[in-house]
Amino acid sequence: MQTAEKAQQPQPFKQRKSFATRRQEVAGIRFKFPTKIPVIIERYPREKYLPPLDKTKFLVPQELSMSQFVAIIRNRMSLLPSQAFYLLIDNHGLANMSLTIAQVYKEHRDDDGFLYMTYASQEMFGTNEPGVETILKNS
Amino acid sequence: MNSVSPSAAQYLGGAMQEEVLASHPETRRPPAQDPRGHFGHGAGPDGGRDGVAEPDEVDRLKAKLISAWNNVKYGWSVKSKTSFNKTSPLTLLGQTYLLNHEDEVARFSQAFVSLLWLTYRREFPQLEGSTWTTDCGWGCMLRSGQMLLAQGLLRHLLPPGWTWMGVHQLTDVDIEVLKPCSPSRSSAVSFPSFPPSRVPPQSLWGRGSGALTVTEAPRRPQRRSAETSRDRQMDATHRRLVSWFGDHPYAPFGVHQLVELGKSSGKKAGDWYGPSIVAHILRKAVAKTSEVPNLAVYVAQDCTVYKEDVMRLCDPSLLEDLSGQSSGWKSVIILVPVRLGGESLNPAYIECVKNILRLECCIGIIGGKPKHSLFFVGFQDEQLLYLDPHYCQSVVDVTQDNFPLESFHCQSPRKMSFSRMDPSCTIGFYAKNQKDFDSLCIAVSGALSSSSEEKYPIFTFVDGQGHDYGLEGQSEVPHGLPAHILPPGRLKRASKKSSMDEFVFL
Repeated sequence: MQTAEKAQQPQPFKQRKSFATRRQEVAGIRFKFPTKIPVIIERYPREKYLPPLDKTKFLVPQELSMSQFVAIIRNRMSLLPSQAFYLLIDNHGLANMSLTIAQVYKEHRDDDGFLYMTYASQEMFGTNEPGVETILKNS
Repeated sequence: MNSVSPSAAQYLGGAMQEEVLASHPETRRPPAQDPRGHFGHGAGPDGGRDGVAEPDEVDRLKAKLISAWNNVKYGWSVKSKTSFNKTSPLTLLGQTYLLNHEDEVARFSQAFVSLLWLTYRREFPQLEGSTWTTDCGWGCMLRSGQMLLAQGLLRHLLPPGWTWMGVHQLTDVDIEVLKPCSPSRSSAVSFPSFPPSRVPPQSLWGRGSGALTVTEAPRRPQRRSAETSRDRQMDATHRRLVSWFGDHPYAPFGVHQLVELGKSSGKKAGDWYGPSIVAHILRKAVAKTSEVPNLAVYVAQDCTVYKEDVMRLCDPSLLEDLSGQSSGWKSVIILVPVRLGGESLNPAYIECVKNILRLECCIGIIGGKPKHSLFFVGFQDEQLLYLDPHYCQSVVDVTQDNFPLESFHCQSPRKMSFSRMDPSCTIGFYAKNQKDFDSLCIAVSGALSSSSEEKYPIFTFVDGQGHDYGLEGQSEVPHGLPAHILPPGRLKRASKKSSMDEFVFL
């Protein structure tokens, strides 16, 4: 089952394209749309609850705040307000929701010129395994 | 000292023995050779019997095996003692203790033991729509959530600094120098050994002396002021509060009610729960009950607390249509579900978590190690202090007058390294009134920004309401999408045209 899940997950963007290609893409798009930020959004590899996005590359108006941006992505996924959704910048930190994309970009743009984000919900906790009840019943 | 204490070894040995028994039930032997064995406990009828067992005794033995097995299987750590450094400060929910003095140790013990401890229970009334009569193995996050809510309720209903007049002494604790691990300690019994209702726990713990004194009559600690009606009232409040977490369908915060309220989030009995889902379940549970009318729960979305949403929740007079009934400001529990990293905790947040636990308004953090939920209540050095729900206890009928309270309090504080903390958690705060809330905002904002992660705090406070910012906030008021967000239809059209690797314009 795990392998099936893995198969569904496309390769990370960085592995699909070479550094040179990525850099070229950013240069091209930044030239055409200097006020837009190129953002890569990918699903956390172990995410089990949030749906995969059909797109990974986004051009985001630089003045958009993180909270507006999160709202857009939430909408794309048709998530309920109570569903957990976190955007991790560079795969480890949470973004301050009141910062603009441009501010986050300034701090965290990758060498290739993209801003990388990973989305994830929360982990679940428990240890379900067949208990001794079953063993006793079967004996 | 890192060595396994004799009592723990005993526990472990007992447990393993049970395990062997469990897999070979035909070789039924009395489980505990030692009269102080952890599951028979001397007083029990199965203590010294031989293999010839009566049918109902077999059942009883089975029950004991199940419980022993569960406690090992579901992660009750048999690790022996928790060592506390007596030179570095120990923080427990906003209070700091330096354990280099008897008085401080006593003060800490009193505070720790007064926390409510909710654990797995078995043999409770069947959960509706399922065959479950226990939450062993799956309900740990619900239990942690209960502990968080209980902490909020203690703050809400009892005076600051209240402590439970029951048991105060800690077990399985090593405080360097103060209590050297001398051979005489070897007969001290570890906490999980006593059945909660039968033997008064305080009598089991010979403090530093080697003598194990099991007295039959409960020896109440000195209670000079116990006669006052105020104390009686507080005892009654405490008992009532515990009863709200009872494992029967009518308890407002019992596992039955919580599972029921989780159904709308797509969860059912036996499922695993996450800290965010549990936060919303707690919100619904408090909104639903009439037991605490002047308390509300706010759950932050997207790591943002919208102050105006909190105020609207707490001050009904702000809502025009409810202006008729003004009952003043409600107290509020603020829950902030967060994710502090991808696969593991981003170490940059450790300082921030510590700062939060130092705040008096903090009521704890529900999270855990991966797959193993814990209720974090403090820290010392690089270790978190927690209460662990993974201890399977028999159900207690809280509808009885004077039901035993001992199993709802924990005497053995435990610690784990920050580095093992699962990044998914929910942080809880409590504000009694508006003034409290104002100072909470300032204090928490300060705690969040004082670390190096200033630009990327765990969460933020924002003036205004969620939907001012294009979010559906706590307010249940339906509203359309704000103008600056493209309607989903347009997004879809855009996406159809382009392949996966083309840019989407937002």
